[in-house]
Amino acid sequence: MNYSFHFDVVWRDFDALMQGAWMTFQLGVLAFWGGALIGLLGAALKTYGPRPLRLVADCYVVFFTNTPALIQIYFLYFGLPEAGIRWSSEACVLIGLTLNAGAYLTMILRAGFLSVRRTELEAAETLGLSVLQQIRHVIVPHIARAIYPALANFFIVILVMGTSIGAVIGVDELTGQAINLATVNYRWLEYFTVVAGIYVVLTFVASIGLALLGRWAFRVRARIF
Amino acid sequence: MPHLELRDVRAGYGALEVLRGVSLAVDRGEVVALVGPSGSGKSTVLRVLMGLTPLSAGQVSIDGRPVDFRSRGELRALRDRMAIVFQQYNLFQNMTVMGNVTLAPLRIKRWPRAEVEAEARALLAKVGLAGREDAYPDELSGGQQQRVAIARALALRPEILLLDEVTSALDPELVNEVLDTIRTLAAEGMTMLIVSHEMGFVREIADRVVMMDAGEVIEAGPPAEILDNPRTERARRFFGKVLRH
Repeated sequence: MNYSFHFDVVWRDFDALMQGAWMTFQLGVLAFWGGALIGLLGAALKTYGPRPLRLVADCYVVFFTNTPALIQIYFLYFGLPEAGIRWSSEACVLIGLTLNAGAYLTMILRAGFLSVRRTELEAAETLGLSVLQQIRHVIVPHIARAIYPALANFFIVILVMGTSIGAVIGVDELTGQAINLATVNYRWLEYFTVVAGIYVVLTFVASIGLALLGRWAFRVRARIF
Repeated sequence: MPHLELRDVRAGYGALEVLRGVSLAVDRGEVVALVGPSGSGKSTVLRVLMGLTPLSAGQVSIDGRPVDFRSRGELRALRDRMAIVFQQYNLFQNMTVMGNVTLAPLRIKRWPRAEVEAEARALLAKVGLAGREDAYPDELSGGQQQRVAIARALALRPEILLLDEVTSALDPELVNEVLDTIRTLAAEGMTMLIVSHEMGFVREIADRVVMMDAGEVIEAGPPAEILDNPRTERARRFFGKVLRH
């Protein structure tokens, strides 16, 4: 191999890459939490909702889990303007990822809903807890603990694989930023080597943070390594 | 006037009729034991009383006042006065012992925290669990969990306590620690309706024994009478089996 690496150009642009990493992190967090809200609603409908609403939730999940996130985002970015709706590329990625995450999280949360023991709910009911109080004090903490590992994994998926789709419609997240910079001086290999390293650090920090949060909030004994 | 009274109560799950006209009364401060073979409807009686299983006919009265189970307000009032302890403890796994005991007084009654926690500590001491306030249910033995469940039920200061086979999921050596707690409550004058298979315990603690079979009450009376001289053939066969071991 007679390629000679020139990392000095990358270090010169390191600030720009960190800005990209920050954008990646924000997109990942927002899409995940937005998706979690949708997922909570979807899972509640699929588990307890009346038949027509269950069907709506089913269609939503099937559509968004059976088509690539890239195509969903393309529809928002290239399709909506035809209908007169023009969103920024950042908004398209964020909304697309949120809808996509919502579908996956509907399925993850539903598994959590089904794992709630009826007996605990009966105990809560006989103590006089209202339905809302049961959800808040019994169902949600129970679900959180049961599905926390799956949620944490999915967050990493969104953070790395989801957000990098933004690059194809010009969002300056980490991958997009690297493409922007590399097209100027053709140091693709150097940029992407460093970017890969930044992704590893990003997911590593996120994993540790999630594991500590899980341990503190839900007594989940997640393994970090 | 009985503290708690069921009159000709019928209830079931779907087409299956589990209670086929049950009448029984518990006086204030009285301990009544419900005995009978599995599937005779003992637990369903308790579930009906707590509003977990709807009754299809008949009437439940407390202090002579009929309860309308369809009214949310009345159901809430009923659950204020009556508490149940389940066979499988049914503790909230995500909460500490303290959390389990204080949840309802804090969240539903909105009693002051300091008072609730002091009372919870006293209750836990009473059931022999002082010092375990910060443990989680999965860190406790079955007997300890069941005693937490009793403390949780008592935290709302109920007048009537329903106990559904509270010792049958426990190892034999853990049974006594739970029975001791129930003895204390009986001595304090708590009105209790107990479903139990511990015939020795029933004989000792119950003021009256009610024998059920196939969704009906077939005999009722003082323990000595029912356990030793059952009038019906069905009761004789049942006690012949359970008293032998």
